[in-house]
Amino acid sequence: MTEKRKELFKTVGYNILSLIGVGILWTLFSHWQHSPFFPTLTAIWKAFVGLVEHGDVEQIGLGAHIWASLVRIFAGFAAACLLGIPLGLALGLKPKLYNRTRAILEPVRFIPPIAWIPMAIVLLVGFSRYVFLIWLGAFFPIFITTLMSVTRVNPIHVNVAKVFGAPRSYIIWKIVIPSVLPDIATGMRVGLGIAWMCIVAAEMIGGEMMGVGRLILKYAELIRMPEIIVGMLVIGIIGFFMNEVFIIVERWIFRWRSEVSID
Amino acid sequence: MEIGSFHRLGAKMATQLVHVNISKKYSNVEVLNNIAFNVEENEFLVVVGPTGCGKTTLGNILSGIEKPTSGQVTIRDEVIDPHIHNISYVFQEPSCIPWYTMIQDVTMGLVIRGAAKEEVAKRGKEVIKLVDMVGFEDYYPWQISGGMKQRVAIARAYATNPDFLIMDEPFGHLDAQTRYLMQIEIMRIWEQEKKTVVFITNNIEEAVYLASRIIVLSKLPARMKCEYTIDLPRPRDLTDPQFLRTRAEITKECEIVE
Repeated sequence: MTEKRKELFKTVGYNILSLIGVGILWTLFSHWQHSPFFPTLTAIWKAFVGLVEHGDVEQIGLGAHIWASLVRIFAGFAAACLLGIPLGLALGLKPKLYNRTRAILEPVRFIPPIAWIPMAIVLLVGFSRYVFLIWLGAFFPIFITTLMSVTRVNPIHVNVAKVFGAPRSYIIWKIVIPSVLPDIATGMRVGLGIAWMCIVAAEMIGGEMMGVGRLILKYAELIRMPEIIVGMLVIGIIGFFMNEVFIIVERWIFRWRSEVSID
Repeated sequence: MEIGSFHRLGAKMATQLVHVNISKKYSNVEVLNNIAFNVEENEFLVVVGPTGCGKTTLGNILSGIEKPTSGQVTIRDEVIDPHIHNISYVFQEPSCIPWYTMIQDVTMGLVIRGAAKEEVAKRGKEVIKLVDMVGFEDYYPWQISGGMKQRVAIARAYATNPDFLIMDEPFGHLDAQTRYLMQIEIMRIWEQEKKTVVFITNNIEEAVYLASRIIVLSKLPARMKCEYTIDLPRPRDLTDPQFLRTRAEITKECEIVE
């Protein structure tokens, strides 16, 4: 236990050190460049404080921007999970159905969310536009990993249940689903990352002036780099912490797996 | 093809529980060719055959997982069906369910069949004790050794009190020492709780050690080559001259080129 804690402190320490290292490099670079396009860390910090205390050009505070984006991310991500997981499971259990419809499903995967913007503007309004674009990004990793995972369920485990005369419901709920859950979690983690990557595209067309993506767009028009970098960092940091929380929850849920349980 | 002591079966007139009469083909490959035998109640029948002769296919058909191309397996004159019959099958491959603790794993058959909670708990305790795994009830498969996992698979198969128990090279993945200990253990368990067993292996020594009767299969496509009744007293001694003689005789028989 102490050994483990020591290792954890070491890892955190090295991460902080490398962050400081990058900070120093950036500072040196920005002083050398001495240009508004490469603001110093102090300028970025001042922009951050300004956004928190006085809000942006329209007096909307940073907290309100973050909250707006979080709500949209969760709505889109939840929609992606609610559709991707059951559909992946269903098509994984019915491979024939998947093979007969893959000409519809697979090409859609390669269309970038940004390419959907005109369609979203024409077909949807308000909040549903955000949800749709984020859903587009998050859905496919979740759907595809679920689908592929079902086909990789160990047939021995299914047969163990079958020999006892298990009904289909037992095989699905007690064998197939627990076996694919770790892969679903991985798909969700990838999906969550892509959801954040779609936030700027989504907030380009959502109409409201709130959201971290919107914030970046506003300051892009003004060519104000410090605020833009604050927006970028906010997305990165929130995504990072969400991912860490996800991993901790994953580890706890899948403690039956040797790969993640090292104690 | 030479069939050994079939006449002895007729003389014995024991209760015939399982009738097997099957052939199996996978597209063009013939795997099992007219495999026909009966299994008596409480008998420990060992099927011996060389590697890759379709033994696992035989196990899968006996347990009802796979269907034969022709013929059928019947238990008390009814075509075998896991939904009707009380069958257990110990797989050759490691088969512990990774997300089940040992106690959940050994009792899954009872849970599937809708046994009452108290009964599940009671029988779970019994079989855990039977395979000497007390104290490991809440462990997950990755936390225990390969030999222990196989013991759990055997406990799981015993837990439902099966009418018919099939074991497909259950000790195939174990080292020689563990294998030997497991053979002693399976004999102890079988003598304690008599079951009708078909035990599949490629190891003649193991067969002679365990069997009340041995059926020898040929290379692919598997045909029935010969059959022996083993009356050596139990517990058997691997170094006993009579044991060695029987083993030598069967080994010689198995090597006959067709």
